Amino acid sequence: MNGDPIIRLWGVAKSYYRETLEIPVLQGIDLDIPSGGYYALMGPSGSGKTTLLNLIAGIDRPTGGDLEVCGFALNGLDDDELAGWRSAYVGFIFQNYNLVPVLTAFENVELPLLLTSLGRRERREKVEAAMERVNLTDRMENYPRQLSGGQEQRVAVARAIVSDPELLVADEPTGALDSKNAEEIMALLEGLNRDLGKTIVMVTHDPKAAHHARHQIHLEKGVLDRTVEVNR
Amino acid sequence: MRFLHLILRSFLRSKRRTVLTILSIAVSVALVAILQSVLATLDGFANNPDASNRIVVRHKVSITNMLPMRYEEWIRQQPEVDTVMGLQWFQGVYIDRRNFFPNFASEAEYVTAIFKEEIVDYSDTQYRDFLRDRNGCIVGRALADKFGWKVGDVIALQSEIFPLTVRLTVRCIFKSKRPSDEMGLHFHYKLLEEGVFYMKGRTGNFFVRVRHPDDVPKIIERIDRHFRDAVEPTLSETENAFQLEFLKMMGNYTAIIQMITGAVLVAILIVTANTMAMAIRERTTEIAVFRAMGFRTGQLLFLLMGEGILLSVLGGLFGLGLAWVMAGAIRNVAGTFLPYLQNFSIDPGTMALCFQATLGVGLLSTFIPAYRATRRPIVDGLRSL
Repeated sequence: MNGDPIIRLWGVAKSYYRETLEIPVLQGIDLDIPSGGYYALMGPSGSGKTTLLNLIAGIDRPTGGDLEVCGFALNGLDDDELAGWRSAYVGFIFQNYNLVPVLTAFENVELPLLLTSLGRRERREKVEAAMERVNLTDRMENYPRQLSGGQEQRVAVARAIVSDPELLVADEPTGALDSKNAEEIMALLEGLNRDLGKTIVMVTHDPKAAHHARHQIHLEKGVLDRTVEVNR
Repeated sequence: MRFLHLILRSFLRSKRRTVLTILSIAVSVALVAILQSVLATLDGFANNPDASNRIVVRHKVSITNMLPMRYEEWIRQQPEVDTVMGLQWFQGVYIDRRNFFPNFASEAEYVTAIFKEEIVDYSDTQYRDFLRDRNGCIVGRALADKFGWKVGDVIALQSEIFPLTVRLTVRCIFKSKRPSDEMGLHFHYKLLEEGVFYMKGRTGNFFVRVRHPDDVPKIIERIDRHFRDAVEPTLSETENAFQLEFLKMMGNYTAIIQMITGAVLVAILIVTANTMAMAIRERTTEIAVFRAMGFRTGQLLFLLMGEGILLSVLGGLFGLGLAWVMAGAIRNVAGTFLPYLQNFSIDPGTMALCFQATLGVGLLSTFIPAYRATRRPIVDGLRSL
């Protein structure tokens, strides 16, 4: 953690609308997350933690306030610019892995690299390095249906890191896994933060998973309740 | 090109659905190709360039009313006229009605002169034999081959119009440029005159060959004006217009065929659109993941529409192949009793039209579901993130 904020939020608010009825989800969020940080977003259902993660990841837009992530004021980017920004700076890890079933593990991991100007050989090298990082080099030609849940999530992690993004966002990355596989994934994320300096923001309900993070941000009814440092 | 394997993998995601959709498109395209080719064939039949300087003169009231044979002499005296021939559609049945072929009572000495573009290759000796033998006939090679006729064979034709059966000896076999022109039979007009008392000195039509196509309108106008006040007034028209009159007896076939074609195209559009909408809808989350990873709207549209276009183009190509096979069958089966289908084929213009139509179907059917999928908020597409 080098201390410079990579994520900055000023008075961020998000409301959804059901016809004319406004349903506020987040209100007045002010937050700084330093580069290299590992934060767990926690809180009860409906507290707005996933919405906050979506805003940080640039896949949703706030209805109020400003946010700057990886040096970019996201409110000022149009949809295509935001897509380009995501491909360069953000890696996603989903609860249900969300691998493409008709592509092999190798091809799934290669997907983000198809958006770059890298040639076939360079892409292969990067994919192999990412697969090595998640210890799945022997499963590269397997389809998702031929992998266990834990292996699928490791492929998803490899996909998230293959383009070397600064920020990893994870939504309940262990939510669909048994405790052994969950522990492996958490160790993997911890290693990515520790060894590669990736900034990680993770939504989780699981206190064990949250314990792997360095900080826990607690949300309550759409507002920041408290941020605590994890003592190990 | 780096996205091509993504299109192919998605295309084969549900193999059964893909195959069934391709088959349904193929059958529809084959139907459209056949219908359009029928239209082109019929239009070609009524737009025969070889008939550009031929006129058909008939009774003004209808084609079933007869004209006096004496009109022929006056028509022949017109300086622009090269040859005139009395010709009567005989509608003779050879053994069975299913053996249909066009047969005419014609003034034998003028047959080759009037139809010189169709009767292009024959033996002079055989032709002289035909002229000499009042019971002789001249037949096309394709017709002779169909029934295994040889020179000297005797055949009987029982007319469905006249109370007459003629026994004819094949005296001459001719070849044409097109097989459809080899399906005709001509026999001596005298046989009809002698066999049917009310046809004495009368004929259904005069075929007139004009020296120059430019003179056709002038001659048509002059003939009709000359006989306008006669008891049996004439109606002259180009041979193509005359053929078109026959075709019109089938009704407004152009409108019918175009309506069926339109309905089939709409059906393909609906089938493909439904398939693509299903294929895209079941990938809502996947599309959202692609967008989250940074795929832009245009790139996703390319992927999704590429899949739809590939589907319809493959269906279209398969359909054209099917149509080609069907055209061969139509030529071999229907062509034997409908002479104008002897040359039936799917011409390159029809192929191009069908290919463009399937391309259009692919684009139209995929664009709306694909566009909607790319405009949907990412967070809606992801169940949770």
